[in-house]
Amino acid sequence: MLAQYLPVLGLLIFALLFGVGGFLTSGLLAPRSPNARKAAAYECGMVPAKDTPERFPVTFFLVAMIFIVFDVEIIFLYPWVIANGTLGAFGLFSILIFSFLVFESLLYLVSSGALEWGPVSQIRRARTEMVDADRTTSSTVRRVGLEGRPLEPQDQTEEAG
Amino acid sequence: MSVFAVDPLLAGEVGLEVLAVVLFKVLVVFVLLIVSVMLMIWAERKIISDMQNRIGPTRAGPWGILQTLADGLKLIFKEDLIPDNANRTVFKLAPLLTLVPAFLTFSIIPLGGDFTDKDGVISLFGNDTYLQLADPPIGLLLFLAMSSVAVYGIMLAGWSSGSKYPLLGSVRATSQMISYEAALGLTVAAVFLQSGSFSTHTIVSEQSVWQWNMWFTGFVPMAIFMIAATAELNRPPFDLVEAEQELVGGFHTEYSSIRFALFYLAEFMNTITISAIVVTIFLGGPNGPIFIDAVAWLWPILWFTVKLFALLFTFIWMRATLPRFRYDQLMDLGWKVLTPVALGWLLFLGARDVANDRGWNPVLVVGVAVTAFAVFGALLLRAVRMGKQVRELEEMRG
Repeated sequence: MLAQYLPVLGLLIFALLFGVGGFLTSGLLAPRSPNARKAAAYECGMVPAKDTPERFPVTFFLVAMIFIVFDVEIIFLYPWVIANGTLGAFGLFSILIFSFLVFESLLYLVSSGALEWGPVSQIRRARTEMVDADRTTSSTVRRVGLEGRPLEPQDQTEEAG
Repeated sequence: MSVFAVDPLLAGEVGLEVLAVVLFKVLVVFVLLIVSVMLMIWAERKIISDMQNRIGPTRAGPWGILQTLADGLKLIFKEDLIPDNANRTVFKLAPLLTLVPAFLTFSIIPLGGDFTDKDGVISLFGNDTYLQLADPPIGLLLFLAMSSVAVYGIMLAGWSSGSKYPLLGSVRATSQMISYEAALGLTVAAVFLQSGSFSTHTIVSEQSVWQWNMWFTGFVPMAIFMIAATAELNRPPFDLVEAEQELVGGFHTEYSSIRFALFYLAEFMNTITISAIVVTIFLGGPNGPIFIDAVAWLWPILWFTVKLFALLFTFIWMRATLPRFRYDQLMDLGWKVLTPVALGWLLFLGARDVANDRGWNPVLVVGVAVTAFAVFGALLLRAVRMGKQVRELEEMRG
């Protein structure tokens, strides 16, 4: 049975030869003139001011954990799909119960906000009621560079008042 | 039909002659892959430039067809930089970890062979074999395994670069690829359910001229597979890994010279392989009508190529048409839509098969299935709303 993997092994060797051969050829042919600027981390021409962050949003980690749950579920599903013909109704109901339990865990994760990535401001904006009618550009945008001079819209409102 | 199909070439004693045939097949597939990747990169650039009213590459060779070769040669002659912050061993290893799985996946694709009466067996130098490099017992699981290994290449490339943008890109990439692997695995399970085997050869021989798995599995698995595959490949609209506006070049920002070329090569090789896998498991593989008996051996290869080109064109078309997803939309699509739908559909297909065997009332089965879909869909929708509220509360508390 293991002989069936022989061609895969052959292709693996060829792929490795291709990659390593490329490295060697490039090593022989490519020029070498390293300097400090080239070897610094690339940040579009800026001099790197801070080190690479070591802390990440925990959601990335949560996704990896959830993936393991689902991957294990998929591994359990594969024997069932192959043997579905012989297992019949017993297999079907077993796998329905099993899938329900896994789906339940997905429901819990989703409802506890483990898979929420979106910007909160958008959620809040969508949920708030209509904006106050007094809020206009003249009342919210602060004008700069006009010190000592009354703003025109205010003048008009004062005259009207 | 058996669960573990075996290549008749390697079923018996493995002598020198058999080894020579294996070596010949490996060489052919290797050259085929390299050449097709070259042409794929050229075709993508040419077709996209046509869609954007540009000309695209024209100088190297007729219609610029040798452009990829020229680019590759140029990259070999470029300086190979390793940043100071990089972890040198891992930095050098990562391109190989991406390239090798890209090569290996292609070994399980049936490229041709007459499946109507000869079960895909051809004669090569007097030895019976299949027109596919290998037919290992694990079959398509090799594809799933290799797509998991490819994640390591991308993750380690970004991590070992010692730079901000590659690290961000690779963490995103890892997260994205494992998210969509769940959906991918569940849709492949639908195909296993239909064919009753892991072997790509059996999956193809269970289909016939027009009886494709695409129809038998009700089109939904194929649609989900195509979407998840695009995400696995990091191709637009799921190319958040190398979102230029945010991450410079993504995980391979710090890579130059031949190391970058290998990443690029692997990316397009994966595109070809995934398209070939879609052809194999959903579109009947090399199955197709044979018109001229004199060249009967040529038709399956021709049908396979036609189907493959159609899919590759679809991928290029999607790249030219669709704008990029936002990251939260991407994750929502993967976890809250594709994975539950794929799971539900798989269970429905299983129930359908059992109902056929037992002679249950089909109307009742469909009714129960629709009700279950509605109930669990509503539950999921409610969970999504709750999740948003929880997130908002947490943010307000600070």
